[in-house]
Amino acid sequence: MYLKKGSKIIVLLIFFGLMFSFFYNSLYKKKDFEPRVMVGKRFPNLSSKSLFADRNMNIKQITNNNKFIVNIFASWCAPCRVEHPFLMELKNKKILIIGINYKDTKENAKKFLKKHKNPYNKILLDYKGELSINLGAYGVPETYLVDKNFIIIDKQIGPINNQFVKKVLNFK
Amino acid sequence: MKFFFIFYVFFATYSTASEIDTRANTISKNLRCLVCDGQSIYESNSDFARDIKNYVKKEILNNRTDKEIYDFLISKYGESIIFNHTPSIKNITLWLAPGIFFLVGIFLLLRRVNVSK
Repeated sequence: MYLKKGSKIIVLLIFFGLMFSFFYNSLYKKKDFEPRVMVGKRFPNLSSKSLFADRNMNIKQITNNNKFIVNIFASWCAPCRVEHPFLMELKNKKILIIGINYKDTKENAKKFLKKHKNPYNKILLDYKGELSINLGAYGVPETYLVDKNFIIIDKQIGPINNQFVKKVLNFK
Repeated sequence: MKFFFIFYVFFATYSTASEIDTRANTISKNLRCLVCDGQSIYESNSDFARDIKNYVKKEILNNRTDKEIYDFLISKYGESIIFNHTPSIKNITLWLAPGIFFLVGIFLLLRRVNVSK
């Protein structure tokens, strides 16, 4: 090289500095496969048949510009029973809860709600898994907190807990 | 004549159905099952994989292009749902970096050999 020894060291340091920052940023950058891709995005305006009314319902009409949570559940899903008391707690605090009944039967879903009580204001049917794909869901249970502008604020994969309940209650 | 008509309708329907299946399978093979270990949507039999397979088939029947199907799934699940990532500066850098380092190394080595001669 035609550079002096001091300059060579500086060039090397700059090179390694750039490489370090590139890999460091890649390491800590939010990964795409993080199952929170939908957080911050607009909630899809889903519509489907209702469990009880047997007619088509549209989420936007139900929510009427209020914050709400959407919970994907099924009668065959064991973790859904674990989170049920937390959903009841939210219901008692007057939080609007929309249920999405995933790959279930009407009879089993109704039996499940009769046995464990019904925390949902409205329930949409998703027996083909189409609504769940539109929500970017991976399975059951999954819960979304949505603000009055229809933006997804948080998403819980698996049963909700005290922490999620507090977040919902504190969110204005 | 009647026989040929039935024969034609049967094979025309069969060939369309198999074209749709072939296209759905090709797309499913390029989609990663995000709840399975290292399987594609095509290989997996999980609920998640079945839902995605049904979605792909339904959208093909709705005359959606492959790009529209991939774009929708990326918007819902992120870039990692597809095996063949779209070209980005980051991806290209990662693919080219080893080659560039190798060439720079060879260049420096040759220079040193020439200088010592």
